[in-house]
Amino acid sequence: MGTVYITQDDAFIGKIDERLNVRFDKKTILDIPLLKIDGVVVLGRATVSPAVISELLQRHITLTFLTDTGRYLGHLQPEVTKNIFVRKAQWQAAGESPQAIHLVQGFVRGKLKNYRHLLLRRQRETTDLDLSKNITRIEQAIAPIDATHNIDSLRGLEGAGSAAYFGCFNEIIRVMEFEFTHRNRRPPKDPVNSLLSFGYALLRHDVQGAVNIVGFDPYLGYLHCERYGRPSLALDLMEEFRPIVVDAVVLSALNKRLLTPTDFVTEPLSGAVSLIPEARKTFLKLYQQKKLSEFKHPVLGRKCTYQEAFELQARLMSKYLMGETEKYPPLVLK
Amino acid sequence: MNVVISYDISEDKRRTKIHNILKSYGQWVQYSIFECQLNDTQYAKLRSRLNKLIKSDTDSIRFYFLCACCFGKVERIGGEPVRDDTIFFAECADG
Repeated sequence: MGTVYITQDDAFIGKIDERLNVRFDKKTILDIPLLKIDGVVVLGRATVSPAVISELLQRHITLTFLTDTGRYLGHLQPEVTKNIFVRKAQWQAAGESPQAIHLVQGFVRGKLKNYRHLLLRRQRETTDLDLSKNITRIEQAIAPIDATHNIDSLRGLEGAGSAAYFGCFNEIIRVMEFEFTHRNRRPPKDPVNSLLSFGYALLRHDVQGAVNIVGFDPYLGYLHCERYGRPSLALDLMEEFRPIVVDAVVLSALNKRLLTPTDFVTEPLSGAVSLIPEARKTFLKLYQQKKLSEFKHPVLGRKCTYQEAFELQARLMSKYLMGETEKYPPLVLK
Repeated sequence: MNVVISYDISEDKRRTKIHNILKSYGQWVQYSIFECQLNDTQYAKLRSRLNKLIKSDTDSIRFYFLCACCFGKVERIGGEPVRDDTIFFAECADG
């Protein structure tokens, strides 16, 4: 099963027999059986035929639209599953309920612990690097999580931990050509931020798909408060995956010099930095490789891919909310 | 399951139709030979679609099943490379 990325502007996405057929300039540029596809991502502009839309919906394949720079625009979502009990449990836990607090603690702990592990590993690999100050600051943010029973304070701890992490992000980029000063977005104004934003947009496509499959309402979150059109729950669940999936891909792309400064272009007026088409393809491939790489799930004790882990974590969350388990275990990888 | 499907169809028009159906289920590797990786439902559906279309007195379609172990041992020299099913890009070759 694979994801289709439509990177050609003004392509026509049609259906022939049971295949997705992408044409451009009257020539077929991709012809793939629909049963091999689990997601379609359109980067830039494309025409989608009505037949494709109904086919994708029936087959529960999500169609996501990103701008050609990778900013998230929206997506076409198959019917929400009929499992009303999951959604009922989700809504009952809304606000400052004990379950919501427990989940938020999990998300924040998962994210910060993964930040910490990432920094620790980098420090071990390179001897001349001293990240101990930042690691201590992240640890200081992790320590009070279990004793904090207030969502706003937990958000504060998350902010503090993230600040400590991004404070030394520049030092773990081991190539001279790239500089990271602080996290900026909408639009990202330097190559590193542009890669991070692009990666998070791709991750969101996958996590939101998983949240939908399990039957949640993606728009009601706990860590992220409700805002019109924001899939807060997908963003919540994304937190623990940010460092282990996206940041890891970005760092290896930069440190292994798979991407160079010439792969980026800056838009003159807004200062927005984005990848050139060829480099975008490289990055998409790296992301896909990461997503399909295997690891041993610490809670379930069996091998799985990150792609499967998105859904597994969503299922663990639903089990917790429905009262089948005592705890929600965030995915923490050593 | 891994299936190698070969067909011998007497009439051009019907052959094209069969070819078109098979393309939706696997990869075309040689003239009138396809390699497909399918689950039970997909196989049943493919079989029934083909069954409806062919004239069994003049045409024949064969399904050879390979276990995962044997499928891994297939040797290929030249011809169509095996498609990577994990990521697909739709972009124009020259731009």
